[in-house]
Amino acid sequence: MKLRLLLCAALLAGCATQPAPPGSIVAAERLAATVVAGRTTKAELLAAFGPTKSVRFDSGYEAWVYQSPAGGGQFSEFVVLVDPSGVVSKTRTRAPSIQ
Amino acid sequence: MGSVLMAASLCLPASAAGQNTVTVKSTRDPVDKSYRKMIRGMERFERERAFAPNATLRFQLLPRLPSTDMRGITLRIAGDTVSVPVPVDENNFFVLPRHAQALQEDAAVLASRKTASMTWRARIETSGLPTGLPAGLPAGTRRLGDLRLECRVGKEAGLVSNSSPLFGWISDALNTPEGVCTSPDGNYLFFAERPIFAVTLRAGKRVETLPFNMLYAGGEQTPDMLPFCDCQVLLDRTYYVPLWDASWPDDTLVEFEYMVDAPGGVTP
Repeated sequence: MKLRLLLCAALLAGCATQPAPPGSIVAAERLAATVVAGRTTKAELLAAFGPTKSVRFDSGYEAWVYQSPAGGGQFSEFVVLVDPSGVVSKTRTRAPSIQ
Repeated sequence: MGSVLMAASLCLPASAAGQNTVTVKSTRDPVDKSYRKMIRGMERFERERAFAPNATLRFQLLPRLPSTDMRGITLRIAGDTVSVPVPVDENNFFVLPRHAQALQEDAAVLASRKTASMTWRARIETSGLPTGLPAGLPAGTRRLGDLRLECRVGKEAGLVSNSSPLFGWISDALNTPEGVCTSPDGNYLFFAERPIFAVTLRAGKRVETLPFNMLYAGGEQTPDMLPFCDCQVLLDRTYYVPLWDASWPDDTLVEFEYMVDAPGGVTP
């Protein structure tokens, strides 16, 4: 019986574990130093940070998202817009939130 | 259609049951829009004006397939004996007239396009938001209360054209206006005027940008899944808003940053 209770507790604890935030985790300083709108290319993003969560649209644009640890279990979100020619056209940072 | 034929055959006299011809006065594609349902949506708009006291209601046709030609669409209310043309403007907005005979005949609202090639939405807008002005709000700014009512009216009117044969029975359980419009899992999709890069909520001094997973239909749609979503060709214009979150008042402004800025800041 005790074993069964322990097993259930372990399973419930597993369910309560925070999911990984969507997108690769990269320090905000690295993103700020590396990604420049109008200059950085998709190939350079991949080389610097590897693949991350992204959405590709019929227009040829792509939106890529990274997460940056901001302390206290919070993450800021860094979103990159890649234009059809493969160059970053816009970036934005969303204030930290608990994932 | 099968049930219509079955019902028709049950009504035939026994002597005629063996014959091959059955007269059916009208047929309806299951995904045609029901005039009665759309009127129910309009009635809901009137009942729940508190969300958007100064807003007007229109309906909008949107493309669902890459090949859909959205120019020159005509629309009509079609019953057994009535056919009422409905003017559609150049942006594919329309206002549905009330017609007693069409209601009685349980008419359909038919567009001059294949039903699976378009999706439909209610569009509820408060006029007078200072959008597109040089010193005003960003172009296309919406009001959260308008969107809350859009969801309720849109669901009541049966407008959303998602189609998932695998998960239809699951969505049916949640597919009520209340189930969709008051739940964080409701996932009612809105479409901006142009491809969006960010969506920000503003209520007084409280300003928050929506997380990435509230844009682009959650950012989880794979090429295999997209045909089942009515966002198929408008993915870059889609967003969710926290309709369910009462901490954001109805007067909250929903502002957009677009992927490509409009030339000269002109309202799209």
